[in-house]
Amino acid sequence: MATKPPRSVNLLANLPLNILLYAVLIIPLAIMIYISFTDWNPAKGYDWWQAPLSGINNFVRMLGDVRLGAALGRTIVFVLVVVAVEFLLGLGMAYLLLAEFPGKRGIISLIIYPLMLPWVVVGLVFYLLFADFGPVVNVFLKAIMGETFTKTSLLLNPTIGFTVIMLADIWQWTPFMFLILYAGLSAVPKKFIEAAQVLGASSRTIFRRIQFPLIRPLAMVALVLRSLEAFKVFDTVYMITRGGPGSTTETISFYIYMLAVRYYDMAYASAVSLVLLIALAIVIRVFVKYAIERGGA
Amino acid sequence: MGVASKVLRIVAIAIFMAWLMIPIVWTLSLSFKPYLEWRAPHFWPKNPTLLNYKILFFYQREIAGTTGGTALTKPMITPLINTLIVVGVSTIIAVIIGFFTAYGASRYNSPGPFGLYFTLLTRMVPPATFVTPVLIYYRMIGFLDTQLGLILLYAAATVTYSIWILKGFIDQIPREWEEAAILEGLSPLRAMLRVTLPLIKSALVVSGLFIFLMNYSEFLFALVLTTRNAVTLPVHLTTYVGGSGVLYGAQAACGIVASIIPLVIGYVIQRHLITGLTFGMVRA
Amino acid sequence: MTEISLKVENLRKTFGNTVAVDDVTFEVRRGEFFSLIGPSGCGKTTTLRCIAGLEKPDKGRIIIGERDVTNLPPQMRNVGLVFQEYAVFPHMTVYENMAFGLKIKKLPKDEIHNRVLRIAELLNLEEYLNVRAGRLAQALMQRVALARSIIVEPEILLLDEPLTLVDAKIKELMRRELRRYQKELGVTILHVTHDQLEAMMVSDRIGVMCQGKILQIGTPIEIYDKPNSIFVARFIGSPTMNLIEGRLEQYNDELFLDADDVGIPLYGVSSEKLRGYIGKDVVLGVRPEDIEILTQPTEGSFAGKITLIESLGSKLEIIVELNSVTLHVLSPLRRDLKVGQPIHLKIRPTKAHVFNKTTENNIMLEEV
Repeated sequence: MATKPPRSVNLLANLPLNILLYAVLIIPLAIMIYISFTDWNPAKGYDWWQAPLSGINNFVRMLGDVRLGAALGRTIVFVLVVVAVEFLLGLGMAYLLLAEFPGKRGIISLIIYPLMLPWVVVGLVFYLLFADFGPVVNVFLKAIMGETFTKTSLLLNPTIGFTVIMLADIWQWTPFMFLILYAGLSAVPKKFIEAAQVLGASSRTIFRRIQFPLIRPLAMVALVLRSLEAFKVFDTVYMITRGGPGSTTETISFYIYMLAVRYYDMAYASAVSLVLLIALAIVIRVFVKYAIERGGA
Repeated sequence: MGVASKVLRIVAIAIFMAWLMIPIVWTLSLSFKPYLEWRAPHFWPKNPTLLNYKILFFYQREIAGTTGGTALTKPMITPLINTLIVVGVSTIIAVIIGFFTAYGASRYNSPGPFGLYFTLLTRMVPPATFVTPVLIYYRMIGFLDTQLGLILLYAAATVTYSIWILKGFIDQIPREWEEAAILEGLSPLRAMLRVTLPLIKSALVVSGLFIFLMNYSEFLFALVLTTRNAVTLPVHLTTYVGGSGVLYGAQAACGIVASIIPLVIGYVIQRHLITGLTFGMVRA
Repeated sequence: MTEISLKVENLRKTFGNTVAVDDVTFEVRRGEFFSLIGPSGCGKTTTLRCIAGLEKPDKGRIIIGERDVTNLPPQMRNVGLVFQEYAVFPHMTVYENMAFGLKIKKLPKDEIHNRVLRIAELLNLEEYLNVRAGRLAQALMQRVALARSIIVEPEILLLDEPLTLVDAKIKELMRRELRRYQKELGVTILHVTHDQLEAMMVSDRIGVMCQGKILQIGTPIEIYDKPNSIFVARFIGSPTMNLIEGRLEQYNDELFLDADDVGIPLYGVSSEKLRGYIGKDVVLGVRPEDIEILTQPTEGSFAGKITLIESLGSKLEIIVELNSVTLHVLSPLRRDLKVGQPIHLKIRPTKAHVFNKTTENNIMLEEV
């Protein structure tokens, strides 16, 4: 299938891409690697390439950085919770919508709209929802607990704040899981289902033992992709709690942002970024191998 | 067996739909509330107004009175234009480069699978990890707060999508057609442009619109790399803070208005959303 | 235990404006191998699916065993169904496929195990029990599909064109295997196919369908020898029956067909029913294997010229022209014939079929 590419096509196929990636990503990567071994920050008065190497100070510092550990841990918890809930909810909805009924296409069309919204808007929407003048406080909690709650901002409680951030992600991305799982389930050939019916299987049994197992590879793809995206969470953290109060709802992306943009601690931020990149590369490599072995993604 | 489960199903779906709708409806409601009602506990506006939407677009000292004398926020027009330009141009670049790369990868394995998976990596790593060096780098070459800077960054970040999506489509076109054109005297380059390109027009549009959607929503880099001139909509959304606090109503209105374009685009390509989001691995 | 495993009464099913199944009625007896045959689109598969419960008929009743299952879902009908594409569950092993129906019935584990082993042995699947069904070759998949269906001991087993997707060489083998399992297990089978040869070879009785209606039901021999209509006559038998239009005339007490420029004597054919058609337009049907080729004329013979000779191994297919009429003749191997040679033909006495031109019914089978 692969013949030798003609000059012109080969050039076009590789050069622009390489230029783009090198100019915009690789060079910064190189900078990042260099800086993480220095002590530089912009206040130092000299340019970064003049900064002397200071060894692995930054990396050592990372080991003792509690805030880093907290952010990382929080992010991992976020990913696990959010992806699991989205998967279960999405699966449930996919199951419910498998049967034919009038208006199904319209409902599916409606279900997917959160996916299209800019992530900051989702953050804003949930911020407004849980603000102290919002319906959550005023309608629900008032009904349950009386007036007292309206004076404290829900979002100032770190647990609640973080839960809201998770809720926002679940709200926006469950439709993603739903779409993928629904597409997979619908694609199961009708004959399998009919064969199972004739053999006496109820629709529950058919779902459990025929449809669900057959969408395993698809489900894996969805889970991996969603997990990777969830790990990056930033926009909603910024909009809903700004990482606060203090740093109690920070995710790893947010912490790096703070380091670089608020504290100007560039060298350390670079080191953290570098380590994170390497760790992720390894994890992804392991995952991909696992996925390929488990049945060719 | 029949009726009870049917009712349960309808109830479950209804609850889910309500859950999806309520947050947006609340935001909508807030966007129509006048200043005095912004922090009021009731759900619907008692005196609905279009004032918040006006605030978005116009510099209004005259509205100041009705917003409680709060200082004002900049109009949304510049950020909107910035967004359209930055996202539009970067999308075009991403699709063009993506097409060439996808073609080479599909027909000649160049770039090879290693290169392709490397591009996937650009999408898998958290953007935050690149904030530090890009900030430094851009300051160094004067790209901070410029449209060009963002354009290049966005193109690089989303070219992966067009590569993978377009490659899927190109793979499905028989190579014989290009080979026939070459036999008739066209250069391979011309064959690519005259034969293959027109055939995947719809794929180009779909991947373009999808990338537009992705870039439109980009926040972190826009936040970090822009201050005044190249501010995009998502960043602008966070600036609705006035003298006496956040301009909730206006902010809600801004959120609504900022969502119009992505919603329209999203619905135009709704059948291809998953194809895009899964890099062409899942085709609905 | 009833005599009749399946009774279909006045079944009707339409899809939009098309009537797929039109007032179909028939029975299948216990232990019988019954085939429904007909060209694509004649409604046989739809009928089968209605019986299985996968389609809802507009009218009619379906009775399986002694139960009226017309309004019951497929799960409760106690039928077995083997699809054209087998539809074995690819992600399960052969063992799990076979155990599927039994697990649903909540049989105890050892009982399931025993039954699986027994059926696997019968169908020669023992060595494949732990193989994932998706990896099997076609022929094996079909056996698994069969095994999975018969293991639950259904009242009747439905087969939807089971051999259509199979390679020609294996078809022969599988046909015989199918018949063997059926006889050994005593399974009642309703088999649907467009391959009339196949149906003729394996069935106890056959129903011929066309455009949603059943035209004739009978044993293979009955259908072959006494087709009740032109459609049935043409559909059954290979090569296809010759059909010649003409007028029925009588000459010296002998009937013959006047087809404009040709006269074909119906030697030895006499029937009261034909008397009423003398002077009327009819269609004469003769199977190629029922025409004798003679080098010398005899009583009741007619003349023609050979235009083509094709060898079919142990037989010859010969095309003979009689002016405007062309006849296909199937003859045992012989070496004395040449293309262009004038010869004489004779129809075997009982093998001439005369059909009413308008109703297309077999005149000799008409009720008086």
